[in-house]
Amino acid sequence: MAGRDRVAVGAVVSGLVVAAFATMGLGSSVAASVDDEVVTLTVGVIQDLDTPNVTAGFLVSSYEVWNLQYATLTDKAAADFATEPSLAESWVEGDGGLSYTYTLREGLEWSDGEPLTADDVAFTINTSRDQAWANHSSITANLDATVIDDRTVKITSSVPDPKLPIMDVYIVPEHVWGPVAEGDVTTYEALDGVGSGAFTLREWKSGQSWTMDANPSYFKGEPAIDVIVFRVFTNADAMVAALQQGEIDFAHSVPSSSFEGLGDEAGIESVFGQQGGFSELAMNGMAGGIGDGHPALVDIDVRHAIHRAIDKQALFDRVILGLGSPGVTLSVSPDPVWQPEIPVEEQFTYDPAAANQLLDEAGYVDTDGNGIREMPDGSQELVFRYAERSESDIAAPVRELITGFLEAVGIGTTVDVYDDGQLTEVVGSGEYDLFVWGWTPFVDPDPMLSYFTCDQVTFDAEVIGYNDANWCSEEYDALYAAQNQELDRERRIEIVHEMLRLFYAESTYIVLFEDADLQAYRTDRFTGWTRQPAETGPVLFSNTSPTYFLLQPIDGGGGDDGGLGTGALIAIIVGVLVLVGGGAVVVMRSRSNRDERD
Amino acid sequence: MRPRFVVGKVLGALSTLAFVVVVNFFLFRVVNDDPVESMFRGRNLSIEQKDRLRQQFNLDGTRFEQFAAYVRELLSGNLGVSLQSRRPVTTEIGEAIWPTIALVGTATTLSMIIGISIGIRAGWRRRSRFDVGSTTFSMFTYSVPDFWLAMLVLGLFSVQLGVFPTGGLQDAGTTATGISLLLDQLHHMALPCLVLAIAYLGEYAIVMRSSMLDTVREDYLQLARAKGLRDVDVRRRHAVPNAVLPVVSLSALNFGFVLSGAIAVESIFSWPGLGQATLQAIRGPDFPMLQGLFLLFSAAVIVANLAVDLLYGVLDPRVGGR
Amino acid sequence: MAPDSPVIVSAAALVRSRRRAAFADFVRRFRRDRLAVTGLVVLVGFGLMALLAPWVVDQDGLSAVASLDNPTWAGPGGEFLMGTDHLGRSVAAQFVQGSRVSLFVGLMSTVLTIAIGSVVGIVAGFFGRWTDSVLMRLTDWFLVIPFLPLAIVLASVLGRGIWNIIFVIAITSWPSTARLVRSQVLTVKERLYVDRARALGATQVHVIRRHVLPNVAPLILASATLAVPISILTETTLAFLGLGDPTQASWGKTLEEAFQAGAISRGAWWYYLPAGLGIVAVVLAFTLFGRALEEILDPRLRDR
Repeated sequence: MAGRDRVAVGAVVSGLVVAAFATMGLGSSVAASVDDEVVTLTVGVIQDLDTPNVTAGFLVSSYEVWNLQYATLTDKAAADFATEPSLAESWVEGDGGLSYTYTLREGLEWSDGEPLTADDVAFTINTSRDQAWANHSSITANLDATVIDDRTVKITSSVPDPKLPIMDVYIVPEHVWGPVAEGDVTTYEALDGVGSGAFTLREWKSGQSWTMDANPSYFKGEPAIDVIVFRVFTNADAMVAALQQGEIDFAHSVPSSSFEGLGDEAGIESVFGQQGGFSELAMNGMAGGIGDGHPALVDIDVRHAIHRAIDKQALFDRVILGLGSPGVTLSVSPDPVWQPEIPVEEQFTYDPAAANQLLDEAGYVDTDGNGIREMPDGSQELVFRYAERSESDIAAPVRELITGFLEAVGIGTTVDVYDDGQLTEVVGSGEYDLFVWGWTPFVDPDPMLSYFTCDQVTFDAEVIGYNDANWCSEEYDALYAAQNQELDRERRIEIVHEMLRLFYAESTYIVLFEDADLQAYRTDRFTGWTRQPAETGPVLFSNTSPTYFLLQPIDGGGGDDGGLGTGALIAIIVGVLVLVGGGAVVVMRSRSNRDERD
Repeated sequence: MRPRFVVGKVLGALSTLAFVVVVNFFLFRVVNDDPVESMFRGRNLSIEQKDRLRQQFNLDGTRFEQFAAYVRELLSGNLGVSLQSRRPVTTEIGEAIWPTIALVGTATTLSMIIGISIGIRAGWRRRSRFDVGSTTFSMFTYSVPDFWLAMLVLGLFSVQLGVFPTGGLQDAGTTATGISLLLDQLHHMALPCLVLAIAYLGEYAIVMRSSMLDTVREDYLQLARAKGLRDVDVRRRHAVPNAVLPVVSLSALNFGFVLSGAIAVESIFSWPGLGQATLQAIRGPDFPMLQGLFLLFSAAVIVANLAVDLLYGVLDPRVGGR
Repeated sequence: MAPDSPVIVSAAALVRSRRRAAFADFVRRFRRDRLAVTGLVVLVGFGLMALLAPWVVDQDGLSAVASLDNPTWAGPGGEFLMGTDHLGRSVAAQFVQGSRVSLFVGLMSTVLTIAIGSVVGIVAGFFGRWTDSVLMRLTDWFLVIPFLPLAIVLASVLGRGIWNIIFVIAITSWPSTARLVRSQVLTVKERLYVDRARALGATQVHVIRRHVLPNVAPLILASATLAVPISILTETTLAFLGLGDPTQASWGKTLEEAFQAGAISRGAWWYYLPAGLGIVAVVLAFTLFGRALEEILDPRLRDR
């Protein structure tokens, strides 16, 4: 055979080999999963963990790991967040509400077999207070825990605290965390997988997936699922396709564009999960005194004009496709009782004419006819820096619309794109004007409310606070202090309403819309999907993630369908390749024969 | 090939490598002077804690002190610890390198084989229908952006037909091992490999063709004098070996770029290779990872270049003897 | 037949007529290559489209706010020739407008690349020894560094903007031009040695201008035309990875938005097909044109 023919044939053979592998791969993917007796739940996510270390992380994905791995003293019912016993089977009030004594269940164990005692509880509370653990200290800052005996612990607060009986803190094992030196706590890898929850972390492949195993020592019993795999997708579209093909059982953060279609598909259920999450346009209120925010943003007329210039309904329709609700006041909890009703006449509804009028009357006119207004003293144009988040898939359409709306009332913008890390720095340094970001509040409104106190303003770029509106109000702070220690729920609700009305009137944030967690799952693998809260909440990545323990496989499912059902297609492809390959060989043969006759 | 030639080339390669190490280090310091700030954003660390972290990651002291520490560790094979995952950079790179080599290596091999054979045919029979057709096809594939092709392929074969998976290295959470695991991985590799092979083959075909044309012109008259040799033998024994040389050097050079070649395609198919690692490291920015990755990429190219130089030294006495 | 009087022709006139003849010869050869002519026609077409865009394109079609009343994800036909995207904007408007950035960035970055590369190559090749060594080391580093990761890192540092992208592409592309130019200069220099020996007191600049440049220029021109496709593809890739200017339409940005908005799983081929085809057409046209140019200008490549 001529040398060139050998090459040609080699190419064809390689092609066939690849094709063969491809088709065998189809077969093997089916075989592999059917072999296994292990019941696996596969969840698709877009956001990776930042760290499994409960003292240092803050992303939603990480909270899901801690919800599963670390039990708390009390739990929240799936239906309505009602308080339920968890590690503690009962608790007694004392000292006029300033202390509670908790009795732990009998026979509690950590996943590694060590007993779970009051020592672990006291360790968690006292250490998190002393070392200011990020996810604990907002609750434990004023608390002190004393061990009465192995199963009894008394927790005392120095001030009246409405959050006390609930004690929403992750209890960590003293025998794992105790040996970690104080300076190393936040950088501790936390891959030990020792917990008291339904599942514990087995491994984390950064950027790809993390896996959790069922905890045989879980006090409620062993879960029906053996393994949960969270698979990270870099592209939401691919995640949706994976769900449709059965590669994953559940998809979290489904993009709005695919959501409607998914719900209509047979075998797939879509979930519109409301948790009080929202997106806002934040403006630099310059309370920190650092940085270089545009001076116009301190003028309340400008803020009101911006508020009126934006058509929230359009954003709601175009960007999140009606999946949520247009925003009005700040959302501080999935429980809507905390938000005041603001009558329409008092709202900053979409009215570009009114916005223009406000700006004209406040002295911001366009003197040089270029379509952009200037400051009343003519010192600079009203051009704001708009910081866009690269890690959000709605950021681009939101920006297109908002900058368009602002342009229509004579306000210009320049766009900079940042990832979340960079944006945090930029905001922390005060060198910003506008940005769009979002929050998901906790069940208790206190944390969300605390973010806007004067305390949380960043005065020094080295120590960044949560107050990214850079806004400080003594009145707000006074009300905050009041609700923080108000034990009467009705009275507390009233105080919070007043705070939120103030917040709205000052347009501290312009809340664009309240979005929901868009999720979808296959109905042919598992049953028991539970929403938290009932009927309106998300199924997974909810406040306490109760669903995982409640899921039951449907007749031994939990495998992967791969590309089954395309047997005919495989045969055709292979057949075509063989034909083409064979044909090519024949053709080249005859050509080379012809050459030889030359 | 004279020893002086070899030594000269090797020294040249080493000095380039050293230059790369220096510039890499300072390049990333320009990008971001204090990664501790951005790495541990919003975690309420005290100033003391941050200083401790800086010490841990060799980010304290002057830039030159940091550089000295870096070089010291480098010489002992320690590439540092990734700021994002807290695992050694060598581990992270070690995990990411094989998927990329498998993917891009296979694609390159396929495209080389197919491209070269097309090029040989086209160059031998210049202006034949095959030549015109294949050259146009090659130029066409050369003009297609690889990620766009990936989008089309993904849309057709994965979304519409559902024959291939949408991405990833293997079925997540799979506990398969051995052959069935390998087959699953190959199944996942099929689409990105196809895309890259098509994207690369144009260049090989075109270069091989040009090279054939050069050779044909050069040797043809001489060979015509060779009595009664059959055309096919002329081609096989004289034309192709000479013509293949530039293509071989091209492939060797390209091989150096194999490691960094597939960033966009890896991104679309969620292929956990060096491309993904680079994109993620840039997000930090994760200095140690970026330095490690860039060093690896550059080293690969330097080594490939060195190999080609030495190869030419062996094959072409005019080069090696100088 | 002897002339009545000696014909005196000036050197300049001789050069001019030689140049004219060469040009005519060039055009003749070019016309024979049908593919190259097609390439040229395509380029002219897109060039016109890009230049006339501000007048041809309905600016409202590009604005999300102005498109609020349009249907989203509408297929081609009817009011919208190429359909609409996820925000209701006209795909046709984005296609035409996008050609401006893609072509502009492609051309400008090539100009910059060629400028830097040529200067470095000529200086290195001509002055040789120390200058050559240093410049070649620098060139080597750039060649050895993976260019896409470097481009990504630079783009993240410099921020997103048209000129930043142009700069980034030029920075990562000049080395190959420099190498090419340098080797050509070396060849010319060899030939020139004889001339230089005879050139009485001619300055180096003079030699460069008179002898090196004219010999190197055709090669530079040809490699420039072949560098444009690479620049365009690089801009497209950078825009796709999210590093382009977010406020300017470009073909790469269109593809990025289509991908992020889920056009693939929606089967909205009209959103991502045109931009890709546009890129392929322009790049292919430049390649065909460039290869023809290269063949004609470089005497070694004749008769291919």
